[in-house]
Amino acid sequence: MRSLVATYGRGLTALFCGLALIWLLGLIVLPQLFMLERSLWWQEQPAEAFALTKRIDDLYNEVSLLEFDRRAAEGEEVAQLEARIAAKRAEIAELEAVEVAPVRVYGLANYVKMSGLHFWIFVKTIFYAMLVTLLALVVCYPIAFAAAQLASPANAALLLLGLVVPYAINELLRVYAWLMILDYQGVINSFLAWLGLVDFEKRTWVPFLEYPGAVFVAMVYAYVLFMVFPMYNTMETLDRNQLEAARDLGASTWRTHWRVVIPHARPGIAVGCIMTFMLSAGSFAVPQIISRGTGGDWFSQLIYRQFFESFNWNVGAAYAFTLLLACIVFIFLVMRLAGVGIRDIAK
Amino acid sequence: MRGQNVELVDVAMRFGAFTAVHPTDLVVEAGEFFSILGPSGCGKTTILRMVSGFLEPSQGEIRIGGTPMRGIPPNRRPTALIFQNLALFPLMPVWENVAFGLEARGVDKPTRRARAEELLRLVALEGQGHKRPSELSGGQRQRVAIARALAVEPAVLLLDEPLSALDLKLRQHMRTELRAIQRRVGITFIYITHDQGEALTMSDRIAVMSQGRVEQVDTPDRLYAAPATAFVATFVGENNLVRGRITRAENGLALADTPLGPLRAANPHGLAAGAEAMLFVRPERLQLGPANGIDNRLAGTIARRALEGPYLHLAVATAAGTELLVHATNRGGLDAWQVGAPVEVGFAAEEAMALPTGPLAADA
Ligand SMILES: Nc1ncnc2c1ncn2[C@@H]1O[C@H](COP(=O)(O)OP(=O)(O)O)[C@@H](O)[C@H]1O
Ligand SMILES: [Mg+2]
Repeated sequence: MRSLVATYGRGLTALFCGLALIWLLGLIVLPQLFMLERSLWWQEQPAEAFALTKRIDDLYNEVSLLEFDRRAAEGEEVAQLEARIAAKRAEIAELEAVEVAPVRVYGLANYVKMSGLHFWIFVKTIFYAMLVTLLALVVCYPIAFAAAQLASPANAALLLLGLVVPYAINELLRVYAWLMILDYQGVINSFLAWLGLVDFEKRTWVPFLEYPGAVFVAMVYAYVLFMVFPMYNTMETLDRNQLEAARDLGASTWRTHWRVVIPHARPGIAVGCIMTFMLSAGSFAVPQIISRGTGGDWFSQLIYRQFFESFNWNVGAAYAFTLLLACIVFIFLVMRLAGVGIRDIAK
Repeated sequence: MRGQNVELVDVAMRFGAFTAVHPTDLVVEAGEFFSILGPSGCGKTTILRMVSGFLEPSQGEIRIGGTPMRGIPPNRRPTALIFQNLALFPLMPVWENVAFGLEARGVDKPTRRARAEELLRLVALEGQGHKRPSELSGGQRQRVAIARALAVEPAVLLLDEPLSALDLKLRQHMRTELRAIQRRVGITFIYITHDQGEALTMSDRIAVMSQGRVEQVDTPDRLYAAPATAFVATFVGENNLVRGRITRAENGLALADTPLGPLRAANPHGLAAGAEAMLFVRPERLQLGPANGIDNRLAGTIARRALEGPYLHLAVATAAGTELLVHATNRGGLDAWQVGAPVEVGFAAEEAMALPTGPLAADA
């Protein structure tokens, strides 16, 4: 802090710190607190009051409909419609006078009353996200290692560029690309049809999109970079002589990796796993686009529905918060497993 | 542990169009402390990597204990390599570092532990096994690297400038230490260095390399006393070198015309009259003061002097403008040898040597 003041002067330092604080509060802490608050209450009304509210809502709908008609109406119809609108409005006013406002009840019910099906989807999502993470790890480890240690600098640069280029393309387009590949009449099936193995007429295509594997593949593809780069960064700092020393002492490739490369790259592996897990556990677009409702839901889709289809923000917030907690637990688990602290990861 | 000999037969290494090691024949005897000495970039590491198996020679054959090594990977050769930066595993405790080779060979943990402790005792590090390499001093890390390499019971230990990272005092101490360890374990050491002092003090024999070629293979004594080329003469030890043309050659002696006047020198290469030559004489072979009956006599004034207790180092400027280095033992009477004082310098013909002209160490 003192060094900051020394470098930039008091005014600029205050500005920096102020901006950082606003960012921290405005974009991270406040929305989360807001969500948390939302998730902790729900609205309650007696049953007949609920019917009343429903009736009022219906009346409002009717009024808007009539107003719509009136705009199109001509002659005496206008007066007639206006009379009906006035009648409805009077009724609304009457009902609203006796309407009991719903009360907010605070409690943990939003968290606890998750249905069996939703809970199953939650568990499945966590499990799938772990699987995607594992898959990405298995795919990326050799790539990161090759780029960091085996390839010549020029080749390594090409390899990394090859990995980055797809990320210049919008995530949605990347996922759509997989859709086109895996679709019923997509690239693979067309190829199979060309080979005469499937027949589009008879609909004997292979339904790749209906397998959970389709979402995995697309997700691994969508998020590999977040796995590769942290790993590459740590592996790159590994002294090549260490590999040669291990080999010279008689170690097999497997042992060299287990004893030398992996321990060294542990922070990078942990960061990669955490990022991939968080992204895939919270991914909405990939399962939405790929499965189009044919496969099982992911939890993120469920949250979306709570918010924007059931308009139940309270339950949505509770679900979202549950997912967040699961992710945090995962982070600590990975850090414990990898034996790395926050400090290592920050590096 | 038994040492084995290492033979290089017509071995060369090319990287694309660049030849790092020209075709070379070399025999390192079993149990020998053999050094490869040369300036940086002359191909020393390349030779070591070919012996250890990390590089396959572009041409020729390497045999260890008579067995051809082509196609045998580093982990299956009877060699162990000590890297320039040691390459200890920083995340393993010292004892696991030492026992790594045994671990790779499937030795069980109690045996590994015991063996590691034994080796640590050999390099005077007993009881330090639980520490991380980073907790040790430079010299101690050095010894861990040696213990780690010895653990796999190699027949040949390859060392790539292992002392270059240490400070002078420790380096000198480690020279003695390394030599003692080599005597104790009795295996072949191939030691790479660009430091001629290191090579001279430790080795049984030395190969001097320049630009991918071995210039001379000899004992330290002969290398110093009878360098084969101008390069070796200038790379090993201090020297005076004067260019000239041979005017007469007979009975193993040569008379040469030089900027310092006619000089006589031994002619081990049998250079003929008319040949260009380099006359070479060690600073300690020059005699100060008037003396009769000496073949070569030169006059000059003292340009610089440095007293090192028992020794006096002088730079004598001659009339021709060349400077001669003179190392004399301090026998008192230092007042006579002050800067600016006129001196006479002389040397017998046998003390000097006429060498064929060639690149010098200073050019490399
Ligand atoms: N893999 C390589 N590719 C191309 N040139 C190399 C390679 N390894 C070494 N060289 C070159 O070979 C020469 C000798 O290198 P090296 O054996 O490391 O020298 P030294 O160990 O004597 O300093 C150097 O000029 C170096 O640049
Ligand atoms: Mg080298």
